[in-house]
Amino acid sequence: MNVDYINPFVAASFSVLEMVLSKTPVKGNLTVQPDVFTSHKCNVVFGVTGQVSGSVIYGMSGPTALQIATIMLDEPVKLFDKLAASAIAELGNMICGNALQHLSEAGYQCDITPPTIVHGQAQICTLSCPALVMPIETGYGKVYLTVGLKGRK
Amino acid sequence: MSKKILITDDTMFMRFNLRKILLSFGYTDVLEASNGQEAVEQYDAHLPDLVLMDITMPVMDGISAVRAIKANHPDAKVIMCSAMGQKNMIIEAIQAGAKDFIVKPFQPDRIKESVSKFLG
Repeated sequence: MNVDYINPFVAASFSVLEMVLSKTPVKGNLTVQPDVFTSHKCNVVFGVTGQVSGSVIYGMSGPTALQIATIMLDEPVKLFDKLAASAIAELGNMICGNALQHLSEAGYQCDITPPTIVHGQAQICTLSCPALVMPIETGYGKVYLTVGLKGRK
Repeated sequence: MSKKILITDDTMFMRFNLRKILLSFGYTDVLEASNGQEAVEQYDAHLPDLVLMDITMPVMDGISAVRAIKANHPDAKVIMCSAMGQKNMIIEAIQAGAKDFIVKPFQPDRIKESVSKFLG
């Protein structure tokens, strides 16, 4: 996969996570994910369409999702209810929105589908497009950014 | 403060967050809509002093909603509040009649600055 496609999502993840959580994120090692894999406990899934297409997934553990929702809502979150899910989905939405801005500046016009929250481990298939995974330590647990994108021929 | 503000966003979190921010700045008369169509209906029914409007929403998107509101209420004040900050989208929103464009994520003071600018 062209790194031009993942870099905007990495940059956007860092700037949005830092602004929302008020902690400087730390980058982990980039790995290649097979096109079928077992997800984390809480996942925000986006489809990307346009000049670059595929999927982007933000995965995290249950406790990390609760901690991030607690910060975002500025009140203790003990249960992953609709409001907590909405906060986690919006975090992904802000990151993807920001990444689309970077992609647009690089000459790739794209759009994203509304986020889908997958809560509970599941088999995820990114279809014929192996993904790159970047673990990001947020200070409240790791968020795994999985990007499986390809350019339109 | 007796100014009426309509928050339009499809995400429960963002409506919760914006309401909390507005309340912290003394704006207690806050209405909510979860898509553009609801925003147009709420605007006609309640004539709010200001609208905070997301762009990507189901049923009717924010830019279409701004056009529909401005068609019936040319003096309507709408601030776009979106994660989609591409230049073309900002231009489209301003051309539709939006007064300002706030890119998410934002600091509460950015909301205060824009809201107080248009509510005086």
